Amino acid sequence: MNRTKLKVSAAAMLTLTACLAFAQKVENPVPIGVAVAQTSNTALLGQEQVIGAKFAEKFLNARGGINGTPFKLVFQDAAGDENSAINAFQNLITKENVVGIVGPTLSQQAFAADPIADRAKVPVVGPSNTAKGVPQIGNYIARVSAPVAVVAPNAIRTALRLDPKIKKVAVLYAQNDAFSVSETGTFQETAKAQGLTLSTVQKFQTTDTDFTTQVTAVLNAGVDLAIVSGLAADGGNLVKQLRQLGYKGLIIGGNGLNTSNMFPVCQKLCDGVIIAQAYSPSQPSAANQVFVKEYRAQYKKDPPQFAAQAYAGVQVFVEALRAVDRKKKLNTWDLDDLRTELNKQILLGKYNTPLGLISFDKDGEVVQKDFYVAQIKMKDAKTGSFVFLK
Amino acid sequence: MSDFLQSYGFLLVTLIQAGLLGLSLYFPLMAGQLSLASPGFYALGGYVAAIMLTNPAFAGLRDTLGNGIFPLTWLAAGLLCALAGVIVGVPALRLRGIYLALATIAFIEILRVVALNLSITGGAIGIFGIPQTFGFQDRWQYLLIFGPMLLLVLAFTYMLQKSRVGRAFRAIREDELAADAMGVPPTQYKVLAFVIGAVIAGIVGSMSAPFLNTWNAKQGTFDASIAILAFVLIGGSRSMWGPVVGGALLTAVPELLRFLQDWRLVINGLVLVVASLYLPQGIVGALGKLRRSPPPSRPPVAPTTDAKGGTP
Repeated sequence: MNRTKLKVSAAAMLTLTACLAFAQKVENPVPIGVAVAQTSNTALLGQEQVIGAKFAEKFLNARGGINGTPFKLVFQDAAGDENSAINAFQNLITKENVVGIVGPTLSQQAFAADPIADRAKVPVVGPSNTAKGVPQIGNYIARVSAPVAVVAPNAIRTALRLDPKIKKVAVLYAQNDAFSVSETGTFQETAKAQGLTLSTVQKFQTTDTDFTTQVTAVLNAGVDLAIVSGLAADGGNLVKQLRQLGYKGLIIGGNGLNTSNMFPVCQKLCDGVIIAQAYSPSQPSAANQVFVKEYRAQYKKDPPQFAAQAYAGVQVFVEALRAVDRKKKLNTWDLDDLRTELNKQILLGKYNTPLGLISFDKDGEVVQKDFYVAQIKMKDAKTGSFVFLK
Repeated sequence: MSDFLQSYGFLLVTLIQAGLLGLSLYFPLMAGQLSLASPGFYALGGYVAAIMLTNPAFAGLRDTLGNGIFPLTWLAAGLLCALAGVIVGVPALRLRGIYLALATIAFIEILRVVALNLSITGGAIGIFGIPQTFGFQDRWQYLLIFGPMLLLVLAFTYMLQKSRVGRAFRAIREDELAADAMGVPPTQYKVLAFVIGAVIAGIVGSMSAPFLNTWNAKQGTFDASIAILAFVLIGGSRSMWGPVVGGALLTAVPELLRFLQDWRLVINGLVLVVASLYLPQGIVGALGKLRRSPPPSRPPVAPTTDAKGGTP
């Protein structure tokens, strides 16, 4: 009895949704999906992305939105795992009827969720997926985050400029973190290409706290440069223990260490760590200076890279939508056609974002001109800053 | 129609997937063994499928078999997990209770670290761009393989419970020494229960790899074992419906409550706490109690005026 009732109501619901789905128009305000990590341990990065995206929503809407039509961001939590990312994407695509999606946070999640969007022909701009192969997932996938292979070598070049006598290098990486593993590959290739000797390669886990084994190996190898690819907590501890046990040479940190969340971990000993950046608050473009000013006013600190990249991701959508709107008014488009047209437009455009001037190649890989290298300067045990090197 | 399936297809399949993983843990529990190895075999099965479907070494096989490669991955995953189940099970099942649980956790960790360090498994990034089973385009189409799999496993469980083997499992669960004395070889049956669970988890893994598009070392972790154990305990560990109900419920709650944003995780926690406090037999166990007729109570005492002797 109950079961038949259920079936009937399910059938009714199905027909209803089927009718609604027919000839889908673009909603007003125009919905743009954001699927980043709002919970789980990845939320450390995801929260900065949420802030960046919300900034873009407020700021770009205040400047007229999409030629007068406002847009709204629809947030869905993609957490840190593949299932949640797929669920978030599905929700945005079929229930929220978004024109496109900014997300997910991790590359591993991108490999799971992006194919879903690609098959549904919904454009995706990855705000922080840096692993090799992400834009190649499909035609509808692009990213504003420059891959590690492009960003990381800058740190080594700068280190060599600071100390041209460097000969021997130790490389350490978190082997259970996808990002660190692909980053260390780039670091090792660059080091070899620069004529340096890889004296030792040490692995650790992002959950480790004791690095005596790795540090001893580094000290025994007598290197002048240590390159660490890990996340904030483990990377910070490793830097601290390297210094405590008497390592004197330069240290390069990977992108996982590119956050002030590391300062409480290694405190004063963070001083001097060199980190390559895809973003600098001192980037001179007008777009960036306005972003930095607003961000400082609200949060009393410089915007981090993840926030800037999420901002850029939303901005790419908005500017591409403006271009599409100029050709044919947005409210006259069929949603499916608009998504396809929008995807074409995204790849065509040039965008003056806080990251500097960016565009995309035919795969959807970001083409970014400026990269930066910063060095950590600690004022006291708790506060420090990234000083950008020329 | 398609819209509902589009929105909830993925979720429906994950419900079934959770139920199946719960069932894979249910088998060792049926023989009284607390094993947490399911995610390990799940990960192993997924890797088998992912490697067979993407590795260039299998390109020739893929070309000759066409869609036939997919059932072959299930078969290969099942066989490999059975083998691994025997290899792990025989020594591990000498342990009991919490020690067995610890040993199986160690097994999961070993598999995870090995997967992180091999190049064939793609290290930490894992394997991506896995071709879709039978060229499925939408997630809900995976119901067509996960659904029959669930029915098959349920039917198998039902028959097994009625059989001599099922009775042997229960005898070992209730009292291993007594079962041994009655002529039921405990080691043999415990390993059998463990291997059945391993094979189910492995096949589910091999079906899940194309479903998730990618496979990496995060799939089989200690967290996953605890989640699967919760499926069984919340659903009820004494009935085959328990893991299915528990898996479906605990997977569905956080997703259906998405509109509550961060609060959905609080609700999920509440469900866990409340269910384990008030439903020690699990949801299915509690429902079973409701349905069963109450035990016969003492007949009402008849008036005993005449029995009172001694009235003058």
